[in-house]
Amino acid sequence: MIQLVDVSRTVTSGVGQLTILKPTTLTIARGQSVAITGASGSGKSTLLGLVAGLDSPSAGRILLDGDDITALDEDRLARLRGAKVGIVFQFFHLIPSLTALENVMVPMEIAGRTDARARGQALIDEVGLNGRGHHYPSQLSGGEQQRVALARALANDPPILLADEPTGNLDSATGQQVIDLLLDVNQRHGRTLVLVTHDLELAARADRIIRLKDGHVVNDVVRAEAG
Amino acid sequence: MAFVLRMAWREMRSSWLRLVFFFLCVAIGVAAIIALRSVIQNVRDTMTREARSLIGADLVVQSPRALDEASLSAIDLTLKSAPVQARANVIQTMTMMRPAEGVGLQTARMAELRGVDERYPFYGTLTLASGQAYTHALLENRGAIVQPDVLAQLGVKVGDTLILAGTPFVIRDVLMSEKVQRSGGVAFGPRVYVDLAALRALPVLGFGSRATYQLLLKMDDAGIDATTTELRRQFQRSTTNVQSWRTLQDRLGKALSVGENYLSLVGFAIVVLGGIGVWSVTRVFVQQKMKSIAVLKCVGASSRQVLGTYVLQILVLGATGCAIGAAISAAALAAVPSSVLTALSVESVHLTWSAVLQGSAVGLLVALLFALVPLMEIRRVKPLLLLRADTATTARARDWRSIGMAVLIAAALAAVAVWQAGSLKAGAYVSAGLGGVALVLHLASIGLVRGVMPLTRSTRFSLRHAMISLGRPGNQTRVILMAVGLGAFFILAIRVVQSNLLADFSVESGKNSPDVVLIDVQQDQISAVTALVRKYATAAPRIIPMMRGRIVGVSGRRVQLNTTIDVREKGNLGREYGLTYRNTLEDNEKITAGTFWKDSLPETGTADGLDAEVSIEQSLHDQQDLDVGDEIRFDLAGRVIRARVTSIRKVTWDNTQNGGFMFVFRPGPIERAPHMFLGFVLGVSDVNARAGLQRELSMTLPNVSAIDVRDVLKSIQDVLGNVTLGVTIVGSVMLFSGVLILIGAVAMTKFQRVYEAAIYRTLGAGTWRLASMVAIEYGALGALAGLLGAAGAAALSYAVSRELLDIAWHPSPGILVSGVVGTTLLVAVVGLVASLDVLVRKPLGALRAE
Repeated sequence: MIQLVDVSRTVTSGVGQLTILKPTTLTIARGQSVAITGASGSGKSTLLGLVAGLDSPSAGRILLDGDDITALDEDRLARLRGAKVGIVFQFFHLIPSLTALENVMVPMEIAGRTDARARGQALIDEVGLNGRGHHYPSQLSGGEQQRVALARALANDPPILLADEPTGNLDSATGQQVIDLLLDVNQRHGRTLVLVTHDLELAARADRIIRLKDGHVVNDVVRAEAG
Repeated sequence: MAFVLRMAWREMRSSWLRLVFFFLCVAIGVAAIIALRSVIQNVRDTMTREARSLIGADLVVQSPRALDEASLSAIDLTLKSAPVQARANVIQTMTMMRPAEGVGLQTARMAELRGVDERYPFYGTLTLASGQAYTHALLENRGAIVQPDVLAQLGVKVGDTLILAGTPFVIRDVLMSEKVQRSGGVAFGPRVYVDLAALRALPVLGFGSRATYQLLLKMDDAGIDATTTELRRQFQRSTTNVQSWRTLQDRLGKALSVGENYLSLVGFAIVVLGGIGVWSVTRVFVQQKMKSIAVLKCVGASSRQVLGTYVLQILVLGATGCAIGAAISAAALAAVPSSVLTALSVESVHLTWSAVLQGSAVGLLVALLFALVPLMEIRRVKPLLLLRADTATTARARDWRSIGMAVLIAAALAAVAVWQAGSLKAGAYVSAGLGGVALVLHLASIGLVRGVMPLTRSTRFSLRHAMISLGRPGNQTRVILMAVGLGAFFILAIRVVQSNLLADFSVESGKNSPDVVLIDVQQDQISAVTALVRKYATAAPRIIPMMRGRIVGVSGRRVQLNTTIDVREKGNLGREYGLTYRNTLEDNEKITAGTFWKDSLPETGTADGLDAEVSIEQSLHDQQDLDVGDEIRFDLAGRVIRARVTSIRKVTWDNTQNGGFMFVFRPGPIERAPHMFLGFVLGVSDVNARAGLQRELSMTLPNVSAIDVRDVLKSIQDVLGNVTLGVTIVGSVMLFSGVLILIGAVAMTKFQRVYEAAIYRTLGAGTWRLASMVAIEYGALGALAGLLGAAGAAALSYAVSRELLDIAWHPSPGILVSGVVGTTLLVAVVGLVASLDVLVRKPLGALRAE
């Protein structure tokens, strides 16, 4: 379960203080898939970054499975992400000097797992890239890179999966495949999925849609109600 | 740890080629340290191993005059209880030699004459050109063994007759090599061996001659140290010197260790220059790896794990650099020409383990220390960077840990410098010097960026954008200024010092210096010498009285030296001095303290009962702490003269017409001390006239020696040439390091430039415009680096010339200006060449990649 209690984020810009996420309180249940939508600059990615522990809130508290992550230092946050949170980025962010398989193995190796290679290979196969594990990111297409990124996000079986515009850099057919994979993971394994997108069609496939505008939650709809 | 190892390996697999500059930066400095240390260790090993051969005996008692009966019986008494196996006598002096009538060239030259008895040498061999073994029989019946130079200078061959101090000797063989050292400093001629008895019969041992009398002892090892100590005690108040092969070994070892440490500092300076390269490469490497670092942190890696990954890479790369450095130095040592080996008195030079270990340790330490500064940035990389690209450039608070780390690294570097110098003082000076230069260059780079601000409003597009680039975020302005500025600084400083040395040298050998110096002229020969000189020269010779003496004690305000051992411990003060007396100051002399006498000292001596009054040269006051009012005891031909210092003179040494004496006595009773005269002959610039003068002198006044100053100057010039070559090689290595760092720095900013160039191109800029922007940017950097380097070089060369070498300083504007212009061009061209692919690349790929 993800809980945000009065969380806000203010940054210092050239013209002064700018609040990019206004005080927000949210609870996302375990196993729920949530789409966060909104225009550019509405605070979507900021919200996702805070949940991932990639950024610290200016005010408020964030709890993952009841644990307050707000006060954790960088290294504890890194350990927490390694164990509980998998992230997929719009620009994939694979390590260019590692092969696809090695990219997938990294989180498991950090966690000290001894089955990193076997499980990495299984994940590569699972995302439909069998036989491509030894390729470097530059030798893969955008869709393939995003699948590697997804496999990496799943490496340590995290209960929470976060995705920032996962299809934003892909053509629609490839994007569709990646979304299918993400939702499949969410449904089959009961992982919580939070995805940031401005593709309303894609958002409609999530259990819940949260719309942000100017740093405020302006709409929070659960699909069953919406339907 | 397993993760750190695996990641380090994977990262290196892909980036080693990009880090090739890293290897080279480390390798060059390490190669310099290893090669320099190895050479000097080789020399030291050979010298100390062959210390016995160098003095040809176990123990040598050496005196500037024949030992008197009292001394001889004292020695006999001491040796009676010592395990002496054999004794031998050697006398060494200088004389004129010429071929016999009708043989060889019509000339005369100076020779170093060495008279030996039948037991010589105890150790070491004299290798002869004929291949036959050396025996004393070759010298009997007026035989001579000569160095090859004698044959070349006089045009004679084995079997010809040679006239030595008026007496004929037959050349029996040619000496190809020998280990025995010269007992003095510079040799004024090639060595000629004759029988000791034959030498004693020559008129060359008269009073004032530069003869050295040696008693060589061969004895059991067990007695050497005790006998040395006892004999030294016996002779502590005289000019007689006692030396065993063991004490020589210690002295050589100490002297060469100092040499090794100072040369290693030169290597250290090159390593530090390489370290700056390492810093620059690592800095940009970390910048390029920001996203990968963020990804690792995003998927659970701690800062420590990521830092460990990169530190391990640096260590492996550094170790590889050290290995390459060792290989380079091995190749360099193999290429050392045999003439240099001969000059160093070694048969070959090879890598020594201790040099390899020291060089590698320094290389690795410096690489790690310099890399740590940028690597610490890894701690700051936030994984949020993956969501928001602007995260990396957000303003940051003062990071005390980083500042603490920087202080620690600086302290560690200073410690390495002290270690390399083997001296706290030298290490501290070098560290402070490098730190000072780095600070100046850092401030200068800030000044440059501010100084060119007005140009960022220029209406000329290329100029405006080039200037903006100098201050762009993540710019390499500081790195390039530092690396190139330091390189220019070192090279220009070396060139300026060298040009000052050469200028000083040409002053010394200029029209004011004598063409021929006559030594050992006796009082009753002055008129004959003057008449003879007038036949060949345009002017009469200047005749100066000259006595030879050593200081055996000082009772002074700042210094108390009771025995000759105390005096010898003061270094230079223990040497033999040429002394004179006169009533007037020369043109190149000025009194700085006390008063100079105008007349002779009364027969009764000084008012306070001393034998003489003496005026000392300024450097004796400054460096040896002698002062007006001090009492100095001189040994003049066995007689101790007590002299009161009554004035201090500053001698302008580069005016050599008047020469210079460290000690000048007040005429009077001192004139009765046995002495001879020097003759300075000017106006015999013609080589034939000089040869004629020397030949006629050797025929009519065989005891008078003539030094052809031009020959001596030429041999000094040769030595200087070798030193210059060595210094130039070191300077070139530094320049090479500087250029490497420059290329590295330019290449490292490429990823940023490619993107910018793509945008400029998209907006309509052509290749020419882009190229001119790059050329102006780097040209400005090069000009400033050159200016800073030139200013530093002028300051350093001033300090070295005036303080260290004690020569006149000339700013050498030609060298400095061409240095600035050269640096500007070099940096602009290297910048352009290294940016070539940025200039020709299609813009779309770069924009997409970003």
